[in-house]
Amino acid sequence: MSRLLSLKFRFFTFISITMLAYVHGYNLNNNYLSPFSMVDEPLTFTTFFEYLTANGLLRFRIPLLFLISGYLFAYNDHRSYGATIRKRFKTLVIPYLLWSALALLFTFLLQQIPFTAEIVAGSRIDQLGNNRPYIEIGWAGVLSRWIMAPIDYPLWFILALFVYNLLYPFIRWVLARAPFAWLLFTFLLWLILIQFWIIDGSGLFFFSLGIWLQKKNYNPEKKPSWMSVGVSFILFIGICTIKTFMAFELDSELFLSRLLVAILFKIAVLCGLLSIWFGSDEVVKWAMSKKWFHQLSGYAFFIFAAHVPLLPYTMHFAMKYFSFLPYYRLTLYLVVPGLIVLFCILSGSLLKRYLPKFYLLLTGGRGF
Amino acid sequence: MFAQQEGFGFLRIGTEDGLGMASNVAYSIYQDERGFMWVGTANGLQRFDGNRFINYGTSRAGTDELPMADLTQIIPGNAHELWLLFPTRNTVGLFNTQKLKFSHIPIHTTRSIPARSSMKLYKDSRGNIYLHMLKYGMLKYNPEKKAFTDDTEMKFPKGWISEHFFYEDTIKRQFWFPCADSGLAVYDMASKKMFTRRNNPLNIPLLNETVFNQGLSEIHIDKQRRYWIFNWANKHMRRCFDYSGKQLPDTVGINSNPQYEETRFFFETKNGVLWLYGNNSLYSFNKRLNRFIYYKSTFGNTLSIQYESVHQIIEDKESNIWLATDNGLYMTGEHSGPADISNYLFSEEKRGIEITDMIELGNGERWLSTWGGGVISLKKNLKSYTNKVYDHMPPMGEENRINYRQTWSLYQHTDGRVWIGCQAGKYMIYDTALKKTYFLEARELEKSTIRFITGDSKGNIWMSTQQGHIARYDGRKFTVTKKLGTIVRKILIDNEGLLWLATFDQGLYCLSADGARILRHYTSGSPDNSLFQTGGADIDQLNDSTLVFAAGAMSFINKKTGKVRWLTIEDGLPGNSVLRIRKDDKGNLWMITKNGLCRYNPNNNRVTVYGRKDGIMISNLTTEADLKCSDGSIMFGGANGFIFFHPSAFTNKVQPPDVAITDFKLLNAFIPVDSLLGLPEVRLQSYQNTFSIYFSALSYMQRDKLTYYYKMEGIDKDWIKADRITQVNYSHIQPGNYVFKTYCEDNDGNRSGNIVSLNIYIRPPFWRTGWFISILLTIIVLVAYGMHRLRLNKFIAVEKIRNRVSRDLHDDMGSTLSTINILSSMAKARLDDKLKIGEYLNKISDNSQRMMEAMDDIVWSIKPANDSMQKTVARMREFATNVLEAKNIEIEFRVTESVYDVKLDMEARKDFFLIFKEAVNNAAKYSKCTKASITIYEENKRLYLSVSDNGIGFNPDLADSGNGLGNIRKRADALHGNLQIISGQEEGTTVKLIIPVS
Repeated sequence: MSRLLSLKFRFFTFISITMLAYVHGYNLNNNYLSPFSMVDEPLTFTTFFEYLTANGLLRFRIPLLFLISGYLFAYNDHRSYGATIRKRFKTLVIPYLLWSALALLFTFLLQQIPFTAEIVAGSRIDQLGNNRPYIEIGWAGVLSRWIMAPIDYPLWFILALFVYNLLYPFIRWVLARAPFAWLLFTFLLWLILIQFWIIDGSGLFFFSLGIWLQKKNYNPEKKPSWMSVGVSFILFIGICTIKTFMAFELDSELFLSRLLVAILFKIAVLCGLLSIWFGSDEVVKWAMSKKWFHQLSGYAFFIFAAHVPLLPYTMHFAMKYFSFLPYYRLTLYLVVPGLIVLFCILSGSLLKRYLPKFYLLLTGGRGF
Repeated sequence: MFAQQEGFGFLRIGTEDGLGMASNVAYSIYQDERGFMWVGTANGLQRFDGNRFINYGTSRAGTDELPMADLTQIIPGNAHELWLLFPTRNTVGLFNTQKLKFSHIPIHTTRSIPARSSMKLYKDSRGNIYLHMLKYGMLKYNPEKKAFTDDTEMKFPKGWISEHFFYEDTIKRQFWFPCADSGLAVYDMASKKMFTRRNNPLNIPLLNETVFNQGLSEIHIDKQRRYWIFNWANKHMRRCFDYSGKQLPDTVGINSNPQYEETRFFFETKNGVLWLYGNNSLYSFNKRLNRFIYYKSTFGNTLSIQYESVHQIIEDKESNIWLATDNGLYMTGEHSGPADISNYLFSEEKRGIEITDMIELGNGERWLSTWGGGVISLKKNLKSYTNKVYDHMPPMGEENRINYRQTWSLYQHTDGRVWIGCQAGKYMIYDTALKKTYFLEARELEKSTIRFITGDSKGNIWMSTQQGHIARYDGRKFTVTKKLGTIVRKILIDNEGLLWLATFDQGLYCLSADGARILRHYTSGSPDNSLFQTGGADIDQLNDSTLVFAAGAMSFINKKTGKVRWLTIEDGLPGNSVLRIRKDDKGNLWMITKNGLCRYNPNNNRVTVYGRKDGIMISNLTTEADLKCSDGSIMFGGANGFIFFHPSAFTNKVQPPDVAITDFKLLNAFIPVDSLLGLPEVRLQSYQNTFSIYFSALSYMQRDKLTYYYKMEGIDKDWIKADRITQVNYSHIQPGNYVFKTYCEDNDGNRSGNIVSLNIYIRPPFWRTGWFISILLTIIVLVAYGMHRLRLNKFIAVEKIRNRVSRDLHDDMGSTLSTINILSSMAKARLDDKLKIGEYLNKISDNSQRMMEAMDDIVWSIKPANDSMQKTVARMREFATNVLEAKNIEIEFRVTESVYDVKLDMEARKDFFLIFKEAVNNAAKYSKCTKASITIYEENKRLYLSVSDNGIGFNPDLADSGNGLGNIRKRADALHGNLQIISGQEEGTTVKLIIPVS
């Protein structure tokens, strides 16, 4: 692997995770955006911008993370399966359980104070849709939230990745024998958003693609001759904009509207993925040549795991108490996620300095 | 002498009112949670919002049809559902008001249904729905089977049938059934057992009572726990019991009606007023009289109700009582009874009585002067009594006696004596202490009728007459201060002591305090500050600086500036015909116009009209006299009656309800508003940009006293006052987001609690949508980018040519010229060695020849004229002929036609030619062949070149790739082609090149 490719992986891992804060920090009426989400509020600059950003321009990051993960996993598959899974248990499962527990504890503590309890309830981020206090939900509910439906909801990515790691021998086997059939199958899974229990269908295609590219010795730095960065970038921006307008303007009750928006979403993700990956070499080189950026990128995992539920709670609080500001929704959308990322970096660096072993445990050994 | 009509006054709503009621036969009525009144008529279901009826007689395709037939019952179901009973169609169903879907509910009986078996629905306190079928019994709605079935837990003893309707006692959780000749049966929900007189373990005393066990038909338990039990013996007997079975004497008034009637139903208001009703039957219990009042069906009387059957009575949220009858809907309420507002009509048997003036005496009695009827006295409670005014009338002529009974005006002096103005200049003074009347005449008035008497602060009595005398009585004598020659209807002495005279046809005069000088005179003909009309009827003082004068429309006269302002129909006045004015304690002006009573609130300039549904029934008769009593009550009197009310009776004690969106008309078609309101926003297509919104506060008591305000956000910047109009039209609205908002205010300025809003989104046409514009922009950017790339590619191509030419010049020319230069230098250095010089010159010649050829190749490849394959093939043929014929080698050159269609770019063409050239050169130079064969053809988008000879051949594996063979391999690679060299010792050589072409 060339140095540039290595830097590129690190750069995009950090950028994708930082952008996650802006994907999770929107303050639209709809508090869960999916590819087919339509907007049920008036079209304003704020709503348009937030929807364009959170459910359009920044949506290539999870496929990219899966792609990078698949490539790196295949690159390092010289270890035995058992050793690999043991390592992944330390780097994925233990952080997953720890962060999920910390988020639960944090939420539980907030639920004990009426003022903060109202913020927790009002944020409506419980994945199981039950935002009552945990005392009312009981141990079974808390357990299910710890293991399967973390209140720190971005952790689904970690769980999905671990499952893919478990499935890696099978994926590699099938890619060796019927690569195109498998990639087509997983591509369809990504298109129609199917999940088989804990096997997340949305990332399998990109994870498999990463493995396949690595096993085919395809150089990810080499732009395919058929591809034009300019055209991809124009299509990426254009389709995201078109899709955003459609989400506001088409009849949300019609299945066709949702289908159209979802298809455009997927095309935009693919265009974004290609254009950003192949068109950002100069930015990568510049950024990664800076020491401060290099250092910041070490906190990627910490930001990833710590920004939720902190961000939705803070946003809900800010929306409630800063509504007197002009353009407060847009202002808060731009400011709050940034502040949360800074807070995560700061707290991560303090933890790293004063409790390095705990930090090591929390991050699965990342960032050192 | 006169009689007051007791009981409630009724306001009728029928088909003639133009509100859209489908039929005057109203069977049922129900108010939903939002306040809409649902009405079951002979023509199906309707909804009333206070302003209009909306017909629900049609249904959507694909659902059961909603019958347009006698709808006798409406009972609430689950959310947005109504139970509807159409007995003439034997249909019971559930109607979803939001989806407009009617579902027929089947009736599953285990026995056959007897003929003429009428049906009735009932909902108990637990929400169970029962269907009672006469002569059959009860069925219960089974939600799982979605049908009425026999499986009710209430089992009667054998032979017992509840032929009539039951009553649910929610306190004791019992159902009481009147079982015809069998007696009462009680189902106890706690023990789930049916009790009768034969099985009465709870010892319910009434079960043992037998007095009503013949034709037992009705049972009702009121809030006082009185048991009303009716039965048909030889006639319909109505009895009332307490729980112990003791008969109560509370049935006064309901057993005395001689005509046939069927009192079948009971209704008790929130205030405990019990109503009984049915066919030819309508009673309400009057607590004051402690008896039932019977409302006889009467035609033409404004206070009465006309009906044959009263089908249902309900009470709405505002405590209005609604009656569904076979002659329309009637509305009444306790506010229309005698408690707050009274309408007094003098007895119709007596001759008409014209009230001309009214005063309140110091003891609270009200005295009314009448034209021809003398003075009528009412006690404080408005009960009349015979006064002693005429008790000691001295002997006088008949004409004089009549004149003294033709009274026009009343005034009580501060000394307590009552001055009574009469016909022909006569007047009476009644001493209230001595109860003695002095019959007098003012000679100074020249037998002119005294129209008005009042007094000033100095104790003077002032009189005005029919002929315009203004006379002052100072205790000693009369002094006529002015004679105007017209009827002076009223004298108002203002706070400054000035006299204001309301005249019949000379406008308004202002006289000095001594009555001698005219200070101002207002008429309708004045160029400035004119009155609405010259003739005036009444005048009052609004405040220190403003007088109000009833001269057609109301005129406001500013005493300080002299300016006159009008209040007319345009300002909300019911008519430009104000006849009486009276100011209340709060400063509001109460006015009688030819079109009824109204109130003017000077604080908000709002006029409120009061009519029949407010309890004001006879205001059109009360145009002659007015009075404000010491307790603040106001009386207006006139022809044969008067109205009496306290202004506080019209003060809204409750906040106006929120305004409801009642209808939405889109392009002349009404859209079901219930379903629209269930949506987060109303989404319309771009062409659906003309619509009307109907709204109304669902207050039936205040409905025409509310002022509505609305605003369409996106169009209107400010609230628009809609007054009484409850509809707003929007035409050709631009696409976009809009929010329609509305609220209402009552006349006291109280606002409804919430602003009601309706979100509307009008889609733009697709060519004006953001997504379409974005698509266009994206395409434009893509095209622009493509053009930019094309331009850039051209630059790159030119750059490539320049680079290649320079490279070729450098590689071919540069090295050859260097060689020639070196050979020339060497030749110059060896001038004495002719052999060497010749060798050098030969080499120079060879090099220059090669250079010329290379130059020729470069020029040939760059020249655009050589871009076609015809030219390329021609050059190849020429080259091969020149080279091979020079060596006496027979040549065979074959080209297929399709080759000429192949397009090769400049670089490829050159490489292709040079590969060919190298192959031919090799054959000519090294193969020693006698025959060479060249074939060029195109097949499956591939261009094939074959150069073969019959020469000595060579071993390709041993051949030096550093020479020409290496070059042609490189060129073949550049063409993405496949080069094969097939050769062997003495086997000839074949060079094959295959390149992909477009």
